[in-house]
Amino acid sequence: MTPTEPSSLRHCLECVRNAATAEALVDATEALSTLCPELTPGSSDQDEAIACLLELLRHNNPGAAVAAVDGLVACGGTAVQPILDNIDDHNYGARAWAVRALAGLRDPRGLEVLERAALQDIGPSVRRAAARGLGLLQLHELPAAERHIVQNRMLNGLEVSCGDAEWVVRYAACVGLEGYLKQSPAAEAMQRNQAYALLRNLSEASSEDADVVRLRALLALERLAA
Amino acid sequence: MDDNAPAGQPISEAEALERLEQRADPSQRYYAAWWLGRMRCQNPKAISLLIEAVGSVLGQTGSADDLMVARNAARALGKLQASKALIPLLQALDHPDHDLREAAARALGELGNPSAISALAQRLRQPRAAEETGHGVRLNEPCEALIEALGDLSRSRHDQELITLIEPFSQHERPVLRSSALRALLMISGDQRWASALMELLQHEQLQVRRAVLMDVGACGWRPAGPALANCLAENSLKLIALKGLVEQPLMGEGNQAEERELLQLMDDLL
Repeated sequence: MTPTEPSSLRHCLECVRNAATAEALVDATEALSTLCPELTPGSSDQDEAIACLLELLRHNNPGAAVAAVDGLVACGGTAVQPILDNIDDHNYGARAWAVRALAGLRDPRGLEVLERAALQDIGPSVRRAAARGLGLLQLHELPAAERHIVQNRMLNGLEVSCGDAEWVVRYAACVGLEGYLKQSPAAEAMQRNQAYALLRNLSEASSEDADVVRLRALLALERLAA
Repeated sequence: MDDNAPAGQPISEAEALERLEQRADPSQRYYAAWWLGRMRCQNPKAISLLIEAVGSVLGQTGSADDLMVARNAARALGKLQASKALIPLLQALDHPDHDLREAAARALGELGNPSAISALAQRLRQPRAAEETGHGVRLNEPCEALIEALGDLSRSRHDQELITLIEPFSQHERPVLRSSALRALLMISGDQRWASALMELLQHEQLQVRRAVLMDVGACGWRPAGPALANCLAENSLKLIALKGLVEQPLMGEGNQAEERELLQLMDDLL
């Protein structure tokens, strides 16, 4: 039986449904995550597999959630809309994983959700994933006029993340800013200067008290200068 | 005082001090004590009120309400690293209330003053310290807190007497206590064998145990554990905190830059 046969999908879905232990659920999710990107994009089979992976983000099983995010990211563009349609407003654990998947997909359609998450989500793990994701959006397929607007929104979101009370969100903002400056060579000088200023701010002891954040900001500046 | 603001709502420093000072409503005092620690309040009045709250139950059993406030006050004094609180916290270590002893032990670890070591060790030497009491919820002594504080205060001191005292706890039936003991032994000695035992415990079948071990390894700053922490089945937010510990407080002194970059890469991948 090749893994692309629908019966194999049935089997994977059944294993997820019947998993009796946390460990069994991790194994079943890994199998489904491996299979999902192999299915025909847009087919009802893949839709069903994606829906199941999205459901797995809500299970409070970190191992299964990691595997489900990997599976969603491996599906590429077809996973974006289902993720956007299923953001769970009541479960910030699930939301953090969904935002993490969006960050991994790097699709500009994720902008609005990432922006909202960075600006106002109550969960630090959600804001953390959003800060990284905002910086990583790939814009080369957008028309120039739209790209400029999106770049501005990315940067505004990142600026908010840089001022977050949680060190881990500021750490993620360093990663996001590094990605932003690498990905957006076409950004206007003003935007680039602003991004550099934010990174420098995070690299200095006078403005940043977490050592690990300063180290990450310095690393970003060093890599960008290379 | 604003009686309409329920516990849990944001309050100002002045409001918190006022709530801690009054005696009519213990739940307001309890919340205020927590708030002052959480907000790292540096107002000297906060420290003296918190010390007073701990002092009010010393030398007596204390009412349930006063004890509740005293425990939170002890925790806050630890968070504030209030060096002035050393003596009352040492006294609280001998209080009949288990949870106050626990709060005091943790706070003494946070204060960072090694002169607390002998009192902590003495408490841990109590006969049947690690035996279960009541309905098996607690041990006779707050062993985890005592051991972790001893480790934190004796980092890289290679104190053989302490190692001998703590070592038996690394065999205790409670995995979380084993983890605390291994953490302290590794911190004090830097000996690889304790690290290996900790790494094994990181694979424990219960998520709750893995979480505790993650935090313990992070507190140790045992850098070779980086990849194992990143791969452990637990929440990324906890792994990130643990990895931050490895980056910021390497057990073996300075550590090198290549090592540090590997750890940062592990953290990037968990965001």
